[in-house]
Amino acid sequence: MAMRRRRLAWGIVGVTTVVLSTAFAVATLEASAEPTPGSSPGAAAAPSTVSNPSPGPAASAGVEDDPLTKEEVNQAKTVAMVPLTESAKDVTGAKGPEYLSAEIVVGGTGRDAAVYFYDYSTDELVKQVVDVTGGKVTGSFKAKQMQLPASDREVATAVDLLLADAAGTDVRALYTKVTGKPWTGKDQLKVEAHIYHAQPADTAAAKCGEHRCLQLVARVTDGPFVDLNDLIIDLSGRTVVRAK
Amino acid sequence: MKPLYRCLTGAAALTAGLLIASPSPAAHAAPAAPCNADSTVKETLPNGTTWQMCWRIHKMHGLVLEKVSVSSTRYPDPVQVLDSITVAQLNVPYDTGTTEYNDITDYGFGGGYLQTLGGDDCKGGSARVGIDNNAEPTRRAVLCVSAEASGHAYRLADTAESPFAKQGHDLVLRTISKVGWYEYITEYRFADNGRITARLGATGDLSPGDYTTTDHGWPIGKGAKHYSSNHYHSAFWKVDFNIGGVGNEKIEQYDTKQSGGANSRVLTTAKTDITTEGSFTKINRRWWRVVSPTSKNADGHARSYQLETGANDPYEAHPETTPDVTFTQHKPCENFATGNADPECANRTSIIDYTRDKEPMTNPVMWVRVGFHHVPRDEDQSPMPVHWQGFDLTPRDFTEMNTLTPPERRDVNGQPGGA
Repeated sequence: MAMRRRRLAWGIVGVTTVVLSTAFAVATLEASAEPTPGSSPGAAAAPSTVSNPSPGPAASAGVEDDPLTKEEVNQAKTVAMVPLTESAKDVTGAKGPEYLSAEIVVGGTGRDAAVYFYDYSTDELVKQVVDVTGGKVTGSFKAKQMQLPASDREVATAVDLLLADAAGTDVRALYTKVTGKPWTGKDQLKVEAHIYHAQPADTAAAKCGEHRCLQLVARVTDGPFVDLNDLIIDLSGRTVVRAK
Repeated sequence: MKPLYRCLTGAAALTAGLLIASPSPAAHAAPAAPCNADSTVKETLPNGTTWQMCWRIHKMHGLVLEKVSVSSTRYPDPVQVLDSITVAQLNVPYDTGTTEYNDITDYGFGGGYLQTLGGDDCKGGSARVGIDNNAEPTRRAVLCVSAEASGHAYRLADTAESPFAKQGHDLVLRTISKVGWYEYITEYRFADNGRITARLGATGDLSPGDYTTTDHGWPIGKGAKHYSSNHYHSAFWKVDFNIGGVGNEKIEQYDTKQSGGANSRVLTTAKTDITTEGSFTKINRRWWRVVSPTSKNADGHARSYQLETGANDPYEAHPETTPDVTFTQHKPCENFATGNADPECANRTSIIDYTRDKEPMTNPVMWVRVGFHHVPRDEDQSPMPVHWQGFDLTPRDFTEMNTLTPPERRDVNGQPGGA
């Protein structure tokens, strides 16, 4: 493993050195302009460059396993939603499923997309396989106890639920404690969220996993982090609980 | 657009005086590109080795590399190595027992968490534009492609003339994902000698909220008041080989045991075929390789790639994060080492499920786990110096000689003077 250790050590040096000043690089080049004693003629530097192609125009469709384009995602999403519009519910409780993500189906015969939704009416993750070119659903799968990362709307809904809950008082107080300023509105926090699965000891949030729950990573907009780790927002139950 | 820069990193500049002029690129044309131009990376390193691949951003995996092939001045016909490689989970539990993250399946490295390259992120390289796979897909400069010096490729002084000395280079691809306070660098290095290195770098900041007591953390800041919590980063990669484009590789494990011996101990190396799904752990001198059943080098030896792991802390609290490597039969809906949420195969959520039936493997997939137990130190503030974890895939008999062998050494193949 000696070889590998050297390589890793070099890698760290390489990454570190990219932040060195231009002055250092220039000085080094000047130093190397003097021939090294005993070096053979012609041992000059070969520039280690790569090509720098201009990106092509935004394509409306990819080839083979290329990523789905914006147009393909929109098309796949529209087709995939049709059979779900009446029965499913989104995070706001409105008709239609909550859209999560779409990925190219690798190794497909054409341009196939796997489109993922969450159906809050049944607490199921839904996967619709769509033949994008043909504009039809070719496979449909649902499962409980499965969670993909949250959509932006789900994160925003979680923040709304939290601020409307009794725990929202604590959030506002924490904001004031951290910043010394009064709370004026939710745009004062920049929030990301990850899926929360209840651990065996976590009785308060025991439904999380079966329910779709989020734990927030919040920071003051352009400021420090605010620790909201103990607050779990159950989007399915539309409740806020304290994790143990 | 950024202009072309010479690679002015310290390592490159320091070794510049030793470099030899680059040979012309491979003369043979590569097969038709399996992806469009924006999704293709094809670069020839100064020593003449060309790597070609497709790249895309997955909402959760982040950077996915597919259809990776290599050629060189000596072996100009591209030969496929990988069907795909990607990060397949990042488990981050804190030692206090209160917090645990699965950054890939609970957040994801793509979409909005994928950073647009800025500052010195791609200094000396080429910032490539791709679709970020956010809910509203956006084209952004997210992939940095660069060629970086890697030190001596070889040296041999066996005549009175100047030595055969060559400096090597890596083709480097990297993306950056920001998940909370941590920022992760997904990096792949493709060396001119055929080696592939997969690494994950972690930087950003220590967790602002995870402070604890002396048993579970390390005092940072003045005195011994604030103990930043120790924690783990257990990373998984999914590696799917397609050696020579024929696939259907075999897995071999090698172990070397010692016994008697007259002047030194006898070490005996023996192979174990791994034919069914399972998880495996390293012991001294144990290694694994992925071998093509039919693709051979010019010496008639089966082409293969060897897994080499280095620094590696297993996290024995989970069965998934304990073994070093898992081999499974290829299945389209098995994509994450843990937290695999695909309703099409709802009963298969982790490598434990994938291997449960010990299915015979005809098309194996390799899952590599590399863990790092991070005990914070004063220097981690701030930003945190990048810490790395990863592994190498080293060609074994992929070509019958060193791909960089100079013309004068090309007759040195096999036992000198051997019949």
